[in-house]
Amino acid sequence: MFSVSKTEYGIFILKESGDRMKKKKVYPWWFLIIPLVFYVCFFLLPSLLGVGFSFTDWSSRSAVDGTHFVGLQNYIEIFTSDENYAAGIGHTLMFTVISNIVKLIPALLLAVMLQEGLKGKGLYRTILYLPSILPFVIIGIIFRSIFNFDHGLLNMILEGLHLEFLQQKWLSDLNVVWKSIFSVDAWRGIGYCMTIFLAGLQTIPKSLYEAAEIDGANFWQRLRYVTLPMISGAVMINLVFGITYGLKAFDIVYVLTNGGPGHATELLTTYSFQMYSTGNYGMSTAMNAVLLFITAVIGIIIVKVMSKKEVQQ
Amino acid sequence: MKKRIFAALLCASMVTAAFTGCSGDSGGDSAKSEWAGETLSILVSSGWMDNRWDDVLESFEEEYGVTVDLQTIPADQYPDLLQSKLTTDSCADVFWIQSNPFAIESVIVNPEEYCIDFSGAEWESLIPEARLSSCKYEDKLYGLQIYNNSPDCVMVYNKSMFEEHGWEVPATYDEFKELCGEILDEGITPWYMPGADGWQHQLTFFQIGGVYEQAQPGLYEALNTNQATFAGNEQMITALEQFKEFSDLGYFGEDWIGTDSSNLINAMAEREAAMVISGSGVIKQIRDDTGSEDEFGMFLEPFVDNQTFPTNPSGPTMFGYNKSEHPDLVKEYFNFVTKTENLQSILDNSPTWTNLDILDDNLEQHWLPEEEEFMSQITDEQKATPVLQTGTKYTNDYWNQFGQDMVAYVQGTIDDPNVVLENMDKNRAEAAKTANDPNWQ
Amino acid sequence: MKKKAVQLTKHIICIILCLIVIMPFYMVLINSFKPKAEAAKMTLALPTEWHFETYLEVIDDGNLIQGFLNSLTYAGIATIVGVLGCAMAAFVMARNRTKINSFLYYFIICGLFFPVNYVTLVRVLQTFQLANTKPGIIIAFISSMIPFCVFTIRNFISSIPVELDEAAVIDGCGPLTLFFRVIAPLMKPTLVTCFILQFMGIWSDFMTPLYLSNSSKLYPMTMAVYQFFGKNKNAWNAVFADIILTCIPVVIVYLIGQKYIVGGMTAGGVKE
Repeated sequence: MFSVSKTEYGIFILKESGDRMKKKKVYPWWFLIIPLVFYVCFFLLPSLLGVGFSFTDWSSRSAVDGTHFVGLQNYIEIFTSDENYAAGIGHTLMFTVISNIVKLIPALLLAVMLQEGLKGKGLYRTILYLPSILPFVIIGIIFRSIFNFDHGLLNMILEGLHLEFLQQKWLSDLNVVWKSIFSVDAWRGIGYCMTIFLAGLQTIPKSLYEAAEIDGANFWQRLRYVTLPMISGAVMINLVFGITYGLKAFDIVYVLTNGGPGHATELLTTYSFQMYSTGNYGMSTAMNAVLLFITAVIGIIIVKVMSKKEVQQ
Repeated sequence: MKKRIFAALLCASMVTAAFTGCSGDSGGDSAKSEWAGETLSILVSSGWMDNRWDDVLESFEEEYGVTVDLQTIPADQYPDLLQSKLTTDSCADVFWIQSNPFAIESVIVNPEEYCIDFSGAEWESLIPEARLSSCKYEDKLYGLQIYNNSPDCVMVYNKSMFEEHGWEVPATYDEFKELCGEILDEGITPWYMPGADGWQHQLTFFQIGGVYEQAQPGLYEALNTNQATFAGNEQMITALEQFKEFSDLGYFGEDWIGTDSSNLINAMAEREAAMVISGSGVIKQIRDDTGSEDEFGMFLEPFVDNQTFPTNPSGPTMFGYNKSEHPDLVKEYFNFVTKTENLQSILDNSPTWTNLDILDDNLEQHWLPEEEEFMSQITDEQKATPVLQTGTKYTNDYWNQFGQDMVAYVQGTIDDPNVVLENMDKNRAEAAKTANDPNWQ
Repeated sequence: MKKKAVQLTKHIICIILCLIVIMPFYMVLINSFKPKAEAAKMTLALPTEWHFETYLEVIDDGNLIQGFLNSLTYAGIATIVGVLGCAMAAFVMARNRTKINSFLYYFIICGLFFPVNYVTLVRVLQTFQLANTKPGIIIAFISSMIPFCVFTIRNFISSIPVELDEAAVIDGCGPLTLFFRVIAPLMKPTLVTCFILQFMGIWSDFMTPLYLSNSSKLYPMTMAVYQFFGKNKNAWNAVFADIILTCIPVVIVYLIGQKYIVGGMTAGGVKE
């Protein structure tokens, strides 16, 4: 069999060939058992039970009063309340879109760049990946210090470069605060996205690039016609993760501004957190459930659309 | 080959790791007590026990032959984690909450189920009357509060600097404003305001609760029975307006909203800032950490011409878990820590505390001269009213939201200070509704 | 000549980006050697006096050895079991595209969107007698990484030609041999990527062990950082030293792992 694995093979997969084998025997169902059992028992079940609380009046008082089924009351309250949840939803969507753009494009370019022969690429990759291992709390501490107006590193560097006009109140100026959050998020996330792109790039046979080069394709053409189609899997993974991350984002805002200044950077999740911390657990879970629903719909659509594309190719 | 070695190492280290967890703790030296070999677990938010407890815990372990498992939890996770542990019946033997006269009801909710009833314990007599209100619920004793009685959250100022410049301690808002103007002219930040911490700037509003009550006697009671509101209260509006005025004038520094407290000690020691709202403990900390030789003093926050003292019987308080495997050991622990020598050890090892608010004459307190000087000027009348957040129900729960609204008001996103107060009323009504408070029906 | 210029530009871009990334880490490193008050300023200046003993204190006070072993146990076992288990499942799902398999695939990736609820998770673990145990925590970690791993691996598995399976079967391979001796080695870049990302995720997650255990003996390494800062006690030098120590293992894992990511499959052939 090792002789087999060493043989050259084409990149086209003969779909019908699989049918000739006894699929059931070669791909046994019990391969699925362990992940499936763990997933259902220790992930899905607790999560669904959790979502179940959104139909109850679960609160800090439940220890005395008990928890009761209240139907859709929590949901009705979310959509009819005069509280400014619309702003929270708007911010959440904006965060999702922008944070993904500022992370994915640079990450892709970096991955392509680091994929090709470049001395020291291993070191660069490791360094660029480093930020994503820091816990959010630490990122908050570090960047609150860097963004400090009087003593912060950033403003001091700008001063050193005689670029005082660029100095900002990074975390308290209403016009700047989102940009600061996006920058920190990109700082933290680009290495992560890049790592996934790199895994995708590994699967592209070099011969394709050679062929493209012979055809005289330039960098952008190669990117557009060879790289992107071939790594659609990695793109999809990054998109799905990026969008779920964006919609569920909480920590990055919580540690940098905690929804402030004022309520300028409030997300759906920070509202939900506030509700939780004031003991209104039922409402908080309902809000999470709304978010879950939005995320799941968008996520499944991406997966469906991208999978179809893949099949068409 | 390399791979194999690495894999083998990894496996080996994991196996070791998996087993070291099981061995290790073989308990104390001998069977000195019936609990020898058992583990007493303590769940506490970070910063509440500090190193000051280390020696006491160690001698408790020695004396009883038990192991103390101290679980220090990040402060921002603590309330949620505690709730989860209580709901899932898996709490530690001893747990802490930030208590105030309403906290047992609102945080623990069902003390009868969760807390050991300590009624009749000897140490009850050690707790001063005011603090006892944070430890008892429906006449049963549940909590033990070992806290200090230093002036907390008052204006701490650099006395040496004031003397050098001939600045006087202000007693009214106008004097205060003028003073800050002079300080700012010297290129010094008059008032270090760590807005980015998210919980500090509210103090300027809540700590002067006494002045609201003074202007409108019976206000607290009325707020607790839904007869009065925050909204429309003139003194409160004034307090917010003055806060905004200070912010606009740059008295909190150029970017107080983006500044957190990490550099506070240095800023005070190096005279970058002249004043801060803090406890007297900060004076000790400035000296210990930086070796500053400046003199510091304290005065009452003069917003709304306030001259009342921020009395606050709240503090981190420990409770025994009713479903503990060894409730007697927990009771023994509470008895143990309230022995004079152990209280003394807690006080002596504390980086910031100068005294314990405990009625034990044998305890040797270490009051700072600044504290004694300051406290000697405070009359009982000035101390009569507790601060707003502990004197009124449901208020403290919305501390952070109120702080955000304050910032929004300062930045102009909210243009009317009354809206900030209305939001507080709305939130309190919500909380009262959840708690089935008859006054809000 | 042009190629050299391109290379140089690339290096310059990389170096600038790396500097931006490194700067905060440098700040953390340099401040970990300073005395407490000096560290609180968080400047880039060199320490006036070097305090290496902070590291020893941190290891001692923060119980770092125990925390390190715990973290290694959780992250190591959970990622190995989780990634391999998910790879097997993803392999079957990708190759045998029956209706039920594709339903199961979507069923599992739905988990990407679900939030974790610790209260109910603890309840479930209590039912299985797994609460407050290392296996319980490891199982919770494995379970939560399943949607991620299945999704990622299934998307990459299709790049491995089916002919290989056929050939292996003709050579007399059973499903286990096929998977472990043929497929898994070819999947190395993907598996290692998953391993690295998940390892890191578990390494920095202190919430799960916190909620699932009621003994500090089960706490991971990252929890220690909270021993050093609270409301009145901001020992930044200790916090920073702890961050450095916590990061080192992950850096090592990444450095080792990326050797396998790089050039696992190139030129349409199989390396090695």
